[in-house]
Amino acid sequence: MIDDDDPLEPELREAARAYHEPPGEPPRDRMWQAIAGRRAADRLRRERGSRRWLVAWAAGIAAVLAIGVGIGRLTVRPPAPSEPTQAAPVAGAPRREDLTAYRVAAAEHLGQAEVFLTLFRASVHRDAQERLASSTARHLLATNRLLLDSPASGDPRLRLLLQDLELVLAQIAQLNPARGDEDLQLIREGLDDGVLVRLRAAVPAGTVVTPRQGAL
Amino acid sequence: MDERVLIARVQAGDASAERELYDAHVDRVYRLVYRLAGDADQAQDYAQEAFIRAFERLGDFRGEAALGTWICAIAVSVALNGLRKIKRLRAREVDIDGAIGLGSTRREAEPDLKTRLADAIEGLPDGYRAVFVMHDVEGYTHEEIGQVLGVQPGTSKAQLSRARAKLRRTLADFAKG
Repeated sequence: MIDDDDPLEPELREAARAYHEPPGEPPRDRMWQAIAGRRAADRLRRERGSRRWLVAWAAGIAAVLAIGVGIGRLTVRPPAPSEPTQAAPVAGAPRREDLTAYRVAAAEHLGQAEVFLTLFRASVHRDAQERLASSTARHLLATNRLLLDSPASGDPRLRLLLQDLELVLAQIAQLNPARGDEDLQLIREGLDDGVLVRLRAAVPAGTVVTPRQGAL
Repeated sequence: MDERVLIARVQAGDASAERELYDAHVDRVYRLVYRLAGDADQAQDYAQEAFIRAFERLGDFRGEAALGTWICAIAVSVALNGLRKIKRLRAREVDIDGAIGLGSTRREAEPDLKTRLADAIEGLPDGYRAVFVMHDVEGYTHEEIGQVLGVQPGTSKAQLSRARAKLRRTLADFAKG
């Protein structure tokens, strides 16, 4: 085992073997308990950290939405007093044109999300791809939140799908390549649990996925 | 069991696989860090830290060396860093003791060869000492030492040769006596 052309003298070699000789068996179980304890504590700390991150994200998105709604209210002109008031819609109920615009916007968003998640699922093993994915997921997350908050979002099935999609997108948005496969496994499970299948079912065949501007 | 399968199970969060991996390598890791530290508590700390880091970084393991060698590399790095800190701390303590007139540690009796050799090994630079301990005490090959310490086998050989020469010089008067 030892490859040597200048060996130690026998008496030195003998003395060297006694150098810091371990006394008996290593304390395997005691060390394992300490290792398992530390690992569990680290996992808990990471989970708490990611939850805090998610809350911060949600707060950020809420702030952006609030500013957007404020700007919208300031810039939309009120109807002229001379216009007939008989045909005015019931307060709070979306108009037919709004519903149509909402459906178009939702279909396009779901189409984009489907393409993104399909590509993401196939290419998660590269760090650069993950960084790109995180940035795209953040954009989709913002649109997803707008769709969920829209007064036209009356369809309970669509709302449920958007809520599940939000969870997956939030996980991708906060994906940390340093954490290895743990996060990716959770996301894959989320996708495999049916989000992708439901997305495909919800996106009408032939939907053209294009960048969208101000549909909401 | 195939090492790759075990690694995949650990990465998937299988706690029993972590324990299997630990059981497979703990004796070698503990033995090595004990040889470097010479203290049971420190050896435990270094071995534990090495396994925690190994589990955290298992995704970085590329299989270029054996898994055991990779874990030993982490363990040696942890141990040498820990020992350097302790050495710095002790040096400060000795300075303070010297300043206030304490610390008379001169041996009364002439030490035997084992004690003299142990003192001489302690006096080696960290790199030489690690190579000497791994090769002449624990029986690692230069290829294994190279993988553990991140150096070429030739560098390991050269360091071992210098370590032995230094030890022989330090123990020369003992050999004459």
